[in-house]
Amino acid sequence: MPTLTIDNKSITVPDGTNVLEAAQRLGIVIPHFCYHEALGAVGACRLCAMMFEEGPVKGLQMACMVTAQDGMQISTLHPEAQELRSHVIEWMMLNHPHDCPVCDEGGECQLQDMTIAGGHGRRRYAGKKRTWINQDLGPFVVQEMNRCIQCYRCVRTYQDYCGGDDFGVMGSRNRLFFGRFQPGKLESPFSGNLVDVCPTGVFTDKTFRFKTRYWDIEEAPAVCPHCSLGCTVIPGARYRELQRVRAGVNRQTNGFFICDRSRFGYGYANHRERIRQPNCQGAATSWREALEHLKERLGKVVNEYGPLSVAIVGSPRSSLECQALLREWTREHGYRPPLFEIDNRRDRTARILAAGLGKQARSMAEIADSDCLVMLGSDPLNEAPLLALAIRQAVRNGCHVTCLDPRAVKLPCAASHLPVQPEQLLPAINGLVANRFEEFERQDQLFLEGAAERLGRAERPVLVGGGDLLGPEGTEALLKAARSLNAGLFVTLGGPNSYGGALLSEDGPDSEEMIEAALEGEIKALFCIEADPLTEGPARSARALGQLELLVVCDHMVNRTARSADIFLPTTAPPEAAGTYINNEGRMLPFGGAYAPGLPLRDIGEGGHPPRTFSNITTGGEPRPAWAILATLLQRPLDFDSIHHGLESDPHFAGLGLLSPGGEGRRVTDAGMLPPAAQPEFPHSAPEGSLPLLVVEALFGTEPLSSLSPALEPVIPEAAVQLHPTTAARLGISDGETVSLRTELEHLRLTARTEAEMVPGLLVAYRLRGTPLELLPVGKITPCLLEKGGNDA
Amino acid sequence: MNLIRGIKGTAQAYWITLRTMFRKPVTIQYPEQKRQPFPRYRARIVLTRDPDGGERCVACYLCSAACPVDCISMQAAEAKDGRRYAEWFRINFTRCIFCGLCTEACPTRAIQMTSDYEICNRDPLDLVYEKTDLLIDDTGKDPDYNFYRHAGIGVVNPRGGNEDEKPPADVRDLLP
Repeated sequence: MPTLTIDNKSITVPDGTNVLEAAQRLGIVIPHFCYHEALGAVGACRLCAMMFEEGPVKGLQMACMVTAQDGMQISTLHPEAQELRSHVIEWMMLNHPHDCPVCDEGGECQLQDMTIAGGHGRRRYAGKKRTWINQDLGPFVVQEMNRCIQCYRCVRTYQDYCGGDDFGVMGSRNRLFFGRFQPGKLESPFSGNLVDVCPTGVFTDKTFRFKTRYWDIEEAPAVCPHCSLGCTVIPGARYRELQRVRAGVNRQTNGFFICDRSRFGYGYANHRERIRQPNCQGAATSWREALEHLKERLGKVVNEYGPLSVAIVGSPRSSLECQALLREWTREHGYRPPLFEIDNRRDRTARILAAGLGKQARSMAEIADSDCLVMLGSDPLNEAPLLALAIRQAVRNGCHVTCLDPRAVKLPCAASHLPVQPEQLLPAINGLVANRFEEFERQDQLFLEGAAERLGRAERPVLVGGGDLLGPEGTEALLKAARSLNAGLFVTLGGPNSYGGALLSEDGPDSEEMIEAALEGEIKALFCIEADPLTEGPARSARALGQLELLVVCDHMVNRTARSADIFLPTTAPPEAAGTYINNEGRMLPFGGAYAPGLPLRDIGEGGHPPRTFSNITTGGEPRPAWAILATLLQRPLDFDSIHHGLESDPHFAGLGLLSPGGEGRRVTDAGMLPPAAQPEFPHSAPEGSLPLLVVEALFGTEPLSSLSPALEPVIPEAAVQLHPTTAARLGISDGETVSLRTELEHLRLTARTEAEMVPGLLVAYRLRGTPLELLPVGKITPCLLEKGGNDA
Repeated sequence: MNLIRGIKGTAQAYWITLRTMFRKPVTIQYPEQKRQPFPRYRARIVLTRDPDGGERCVACYLCSAACPVDCISMQAAEAKDGRRYAEWFRINFTRCIFCGLCTEACPTRAIQMTSDYEICNRDPLDLVYEKTDLLIDDTGKDPDYNFYRHAGIGVVNPRGGNEDEKPPADVRDLLP
C-alpha cells in the first residue's frame, strides 16, 4: 500500500495502482484518452503527463504508465507538464476535421473538452489534413475515420475486452486505420460499445444519427429490461421518443459495457402500434370510465362467483413495486394468489433458485474473477450476452471454462465444449458432485472427469447455469451441487425481475394449477399485468382464456392477450417510469424514469414541422405506471417513494430504500420459498419417427421487448432449424434446404442449418417472435416430425 | 439663495424649450416614414444560404442551446448526400429577445439577424416562424463562406477534396 503525494495531497492506494488512478481518487482531473478503467493503460495518447519531482521515478512521465510507489511527489500543475499536455492536444488536432457542428459526438466529446482544457484554439500548422474513406460497418455503428486520434480504445474494447476478431488496426505511423479488413457488418454482439468508448466521433450510433444533442436529451440511470442480468443502462429520450441507450457503470454487474440487444433494442417504447389509451371492448375511453367499468364488471364477477374466481398474472417484466402491490391487492380482496410468470418452467426455476441461492450467489464481477467456470445448459451470447463478456474476462485471467450444452455454444473466448443431450444435463450435474459419470460414453466420461477435477482444484469455482434448459429439476440439482462443491452459482432466468417475482410468489400456486382452474371454469376474471399468457403460457391457455367472463390486460406493448382483452389499460414502458428490478443473483437495482410517456413528436408532425396548435395535454400521455394503476385500485396515494420505501417492511427487501438508481445495488437478504410440489406430467407419447425439438432464446428476435425494435430488424436470424450433420444426412436433408416441421399443434416451414458442434439427434430452433415458433415452450423438448421439402404446407 | 435658485431653475428650463423649438425634430412619422437601421441592428432572424445555394444550417443545435429564452427548436436529419440539415426549424418570436446570442453561436453563419424590426402581430401563432418563413435566398453577411468546404466530411467536395486536405490515404500502402 504505497503512499504518494500528488499536488501536495497525500493518498494511500492499493499495490499496482497507477498514478493516474491515484490522482483520480484524489479528485484531480487529468486529461487522458487511452486509459480506461476496464481496458487499462497503454500510454498511447501521451496526454496524462505529470512531473515526478521526488521519489523513485523522476522527470516528466505519463501517469498511467507509472505504478504508484512510496515517496513519490508529483505535480500535475508543473509548467512543463502543462506545456507538454497543451502541445500534445495540438498535435492531436492536426488532422482532426473542422466538423463538430455535424458530428453526433459534439457536446459529449472528450476531445472537445480536452482541447478547450489544453487551451488550443487556432490551428498553427499550415500543412494539409490526412483523410480517409469510411467503411460501412452495418446497421448499428457509423464510422467517420477522419476524426480519429489513434487512442486505440476501440481495438482494445472490440478485440481484447469483447473478443471480436473482425475489427482491428491497420496501417502505419500517422496512417492508422481502425476498421474492418473489408467493409461490412461488425460481427460482435458488443459492437455498440465502440460508440461509448470512442473519445471522439469516429464511431457513433447509427440509430441515433443526427437526432439530438447531449444537452437536450432526457436521461436517467436505469436497468436493462432485456434479460435477467440487470445491467445498468442510461436510456435517453427527446420529444417523447426514446432515442438511444448507452451503457451505465455498475462494477458488480455489467462493468462499463452493454450488449447490442440492450443498446439498440429500445424501439419498443416508440412502437407505432403501441396502444396509448385505455379501451373497453376495443373502443377508446378515458381512464375514469375504464376504471369504473372495470370495478363494475369485477364487482359483478365477485358477487356471482366469489373472490376466488379472480386470478392475476403478473410478469417478470414488471417492477418490484408493481409486483408487491399486486400481491397486496389480491390479499386485500381475497383473490387468488398472483402468479409472476405464466411460463411454468421458468416460474418454478426462478422460485427454486430464489429459495436456495443464499451464499452461493455470485455477481458478474465475481465470475470475471473466477478461476474455473462450468457452464451447464447456458448459452450466454444468446440468453444473457453480458455474461459472455464476464466469462471472457475470467478466461483472460487464466480461468478454464467447461461448457456442457446440447447447442453449439459460441463464446468470445476459449472454452471446452461437450455437446450433451438436454436430459443428460441432470446426470452430469449429479456426476460432478460424486465424480461418477457412468451414464456417459467413455470419451465424454474423460471430459467430465477432467471438469470435475478442475472444479475440485479451483479456488473460486462458479457453476453457471441456464435456467431455461436446466428447468426446475436441473436448477435444484445445480444448487445442491454448488453447495456440496462449495462453488458459486449463477443461473440466468427468464426476465429482468424474475427473481423479484419468485420472492413474492412465496409458496403460492404455480401456473399449471391456475390454468387447470381456469379450464374447469373456476376462474371467471383474469388480470394480466404486463403478461401475455396466450404467447408465453401453455397451449391450453387459449382455451382457458376463452372461458373467462372478463379479461383485463395492462401492458405497454401489443401482444396476443392484449388484442383479445375486454379492458385494456396502457402502462408505461420501463424507461418511462421509476421502479426496481431484482436480477438473477438477487441484486436489488432501482431505476429512475427517464421521460414521461407520450406520442413521439416525430409521429404527430405535420408538413415537416410539429403541429401549430398548443395545448397543455400531452398527446398519447395516457399510459400510467402499472404500480399507479394498482395503487388507484387499492385507493392508495399515487406516491412512488412511499410505495418504494414501503417495500422495506418485507424483510427480503431490507435496505432497498438506501439504494439509488445507477448504483451497485445490494443482494436481497432473505431467501424465497419453494413452490408447491409439481404436478406429475402426463407421459406424452411421441409419434413414431419424431425428433426432439428444443426451442431456445436467440441474441436478437426472441426477447419480447427488443424484438419490436425496428433497429434490430436487419440482424434478426432467419427462421431455421439447426441439426447435426449426421442427423441431417440420416434424414437426407442438406444445409439451407427448406424443411417442414410438424409439432402437435403447429406446422412450420423452416430452413435447415447443419451445425457440427451441436449434439446429434436433436433439433434446435430459436423462438422467434412474430413466427409460430414463439408459441413453443422454451427450454422444453417438443416432439416433432421433420420432413424434406415442406411444399405441402 | 433659495429664491435665486428657483428663478434660475425655471428660466433655464424655459430656455431649453425655447432653444429646441427651432431645431429639426428627431422623431419621424412612423409608419408613413421609416428609418433605416444600422447594418448590425439586431432584429428579425433569418436562415441564410451558402454561396452555392445550399442551406447553411446544419441543425447543430448550438443556437437553441445558446438561446437564453429557449425560443429556437429544430430537428436535424441526414440528406442522401450526407448533408446534415434541419428537418424543421422553428423560432418563436413571441419569446425572442433579439439578444443575438444565436448568431454568435452559429458555426456555419446560417442564422443571422436582419434589420427588419417590424414584427408585430395580433395572433401570437403568426409569430411562430417555421423554416420556410426563416430561410432566405441570400448569403447575408459573410457571402463567401460555405461550411462544407472546410468541414472534412465530404459533402460538397469529395472526401479529401477540400483545400486543406490531402487525398484519402490508402490503408494498404506500405510506403513510409
